Parts: sequence; C-alpha cells; structure tokens
Amino acid sequence: MKIEAFTKTYGDRRVLDFPGMELERGKIYGIIGANGSGKSTFARVLAGVLPADRPGRKLEPGLTVGYMPQKNYAFRMRVRSNILLGGHDTARAEKLMETMQIAHLAGKRADRLSGGETARMALARLMMGRFDLVLLDEPTAAMDMETSALAEGLIMDYCRETGCALVLVTHSLQQARRVADEALFFHAGLLLEQGAKEKLLYVPERAETRRFLEFYT
Amino acid sequence: MHSAVEKAIQLILSADAELCDILSVTARMSLASSLIALLIGVPLGIWLGSCRFRGRGLLLVLNRTLMGLPPVVCGLLFYMLFSGVGPFRQYKLLFTVKIMVLAQVVLITPIVIGNMESYVSGLAPAVRETAKGLGLGHFRTLLLLTNECVYQIFSAYLLAFARSIAEVGAVSMVGGAIAWKTNVMTTAIMQYTNRGNFSLGIALGLILLAVSLLVNGVISLLQRRLSR
Repeated sequence: MKIEAFTKTYGDRRVLDFPGMELERGKIYGIIGANGSGKSTFARVLAGVLPADRPGRKLEPGLTVGYMPQKNYAFRMRVRSNILLGGHDTARAEKLMETMQIAHLAGKRADRLSGGETARMALARLMMGRFDLVLLDEPTAAMDMETSALAEGLIMDYCRETGCALVLVTHSLQQARRVADEALFFHAGLLLEQGAKEKLLYVPERAETRRFLEFYT
Repeated sequence: MHSAVEKAIQLILSADAELCDILSVTARMSLASSLIALLIGVPLGIWLGSCRFRGRGLLLVLNRTLMGLPPVVCGLLFYMLFSGVGPFRQYKLLFTVKIMVLAQVVLITPIVIGNMESYVSGLAPAVRETAKGLGLGHFRTLLLLTNECVYQIFSAYLLAFARSIAEVGAVSMVGGAIAWKTNVMTTAIMQYTNRGNFSLGIALGLILLAVSLLVNGVISLLQRRLSR
C-alpha cells in the first residue's frame, strides 16, 4: 500500500516533510527518532486525526486504519465494555484480556485503571478490530518489562494473523530490533533513512542515524 | 426576630396554604425552565465543545455575553414583547407562569451551554482520537462523548435549577408576583418583607437556603466523581 508524500507545519515551523513510501502487508515498520523528530505527527496524520498542510488522501481509498494514540483514553465504562468497542467478538475479547493479563479487571471501571493497565486495555481494544494498516504510537511506554514483552508478542501475532501493515512508533531501540521487520529513522521532521532492520538498526548509512544508535545503545 | 423565626418554622411545619402555593409555583417554574434549558443547552454545548468551525468563536462570545445578561434586562425585554403594545400581545402570556418560564429559559440556557462547552472542549480531542483510531463512526463517537458527559449533564442541570429558583428580577417583572398565581419564593420574600410580614419571608428564606444547600451538596458530590 502506498503512502503519499505530505508535509505538516505549525505556524512557520515545518515539523514533518514526508516523501511518501510503499508499505508491505504482513510487515512491521519500526519508527525511531528523537523527541520532536516527527514520528507521532507521521502516525497522527496517517490516522486522520491531524490534518496535513494540504488536504487530500494520504492512503489508497477504502483502506481501513487502526490507531492507538500515545495517550490512551479509557471510556467511563467497564474494561470489558471498553474492549468490546473495538469489535463484537466476545470470545476474542476474553482471549485478548487473558493475553494482556487484564482478565481479572474485566468488570472494573476502566477510568480507574493505572496507566499501565490502561495501555494494556487500549492495545487489546484496538486488536479487536481488523485493519489494513495499524499505527501504534509508543504502545508500551507505560508498561513494565513483563507486560511490554506480552504486548510485543501480541503485536507480532496480530500482524501475522491479519496480514496488516503495522507501523510501530517507539523510543526503544531494543523494541524496534525485537519487533520490526523494517525500520525508519526520522530526524528533525525528515525521513532520513529507511531499510531492513538488520541494516538500519545495526549498520546505518547516515551519520545522524549512527549517532542516534550510539546514544541509545 | 426570635418570634418571627419561631412563627416561620410553625408555618413550614403546619404546611400553610399560601406557603404551599408559593412553593408549588416555584417548583413548577424552576423545574420546567431548567429542563427546557437542559434540552436546548446540552446538545448546543456538546456541539460547540466538540466541533471546530468558522464562527464558533463568535458564538462563544455571544453565549458568554448572554451568561451575564442582567435578569431585569431580560424581564424588561419580555415585558415589552408581551405587553399590551408588544408584538406578541395576542398570546396573553404576561403575568403567567409560562412567561416566567420563558424568561428563565433565556437566562439559564447560556449557563448550561457554557458549562457543557467548557467540559466537552477539554474531553473531545481524546475521545475523538480514540474513537477514530478504533474505526468508529461519527454517530457512535457522539454517543460515546455524550456518555462521558453524564455527570456533567446532571451538574449543569442542578446549576440551572439553582439559578432559576433563586432568580428574582425577571420573574417579578413578567410574572407580577401575583398571590396564588405567579408569586414565587424570591418575589414573595420581597413582597412580604416590604409589608412587614417577616415570618413568611423567613420561612421562604429558610426553604430557599435548604434547597440551595441540597443542590450544592449534590453538585460537589458529582464534581468529586468527575475528578475521579
């Protein structure tokens, strides 16, 4: 699937200048970069929650897009009801809650969960649906190491089972190395480098990417 | 003073006929006006809080201006419109409970709108972003947003009711404070105090204070629930 080129500007500051690219179904694309590099803006524009500078289609028509924002919102209802907002399959909802270790919270008010529990619920809620493209903006930022590993497993299984293209915005280089098939490096609003993770996340071409990897390794 | 308070308590306990009539008119007017204000104000408040469109800023300024509309100005306006020389004289609404309700609706609807708008504008971006991410449509998103506002809707209703029950300027102008017809608690307190009948005034004042205490108690409970 093709993503058209677009730009995003706030006032007179251009925060993202994306040249466009092709995504392959069944692959996970790890997006790395420092704060303010344009990673979240990229995900938000593709999700349709933030308008690009020029209106118009960024993706092929008819594609369904699932998106998990950086700040997860828990609706004022039970955890189970929150998860069922993503789809009607109750058996799948129970399975997802078990996978994310929140089955014991199913009857609890979702707006009273901790940050980590909310993130686990939000990921399970999104995974209820079937999408052509899934965008996850730092989905494990609020999770501990154990649940983060569970989430990574779920993300990989979901991508393999549904055959979607999955974009994972992450601050964790280790996570990108574990989960992604391909990697994209954003720097100062530019897509500076992209390629197979074995190359980009270990022996990148650009000096900026090397500096970033050195700092985070 | 002491005997007036004693007499006031006696009036309340003996369910004095005139006192009961005043309470009944007050309840009808306040409940009707606050419910109408809620029906108009909640959808408008949610709309203004959740949508961004050209002219929204102007509507917000207009609403804030109406929130500060002096009740006597509102009363004067309705008096001129429905009096013997006004364009709506044929409806013969002046000095009835109906026109008191209408005047109150004009006064309290902007309060409901403003209250809902400020709450929804803080909530809507997160709800919309999450709903969009799940692939939910506009109608479902609106339902979810409204569900998130349930406590705020109760709170806005109670605020509107409290304002309506305590208002005096507009209702005295358009209702005329006619005994056994349009006399409400606030107008009756003024009337009986002017006549030197303090007991009934104090009795009504005590009831008004008790209602206000109850409403504010419920509002603080709701606000505590809203703040999670």
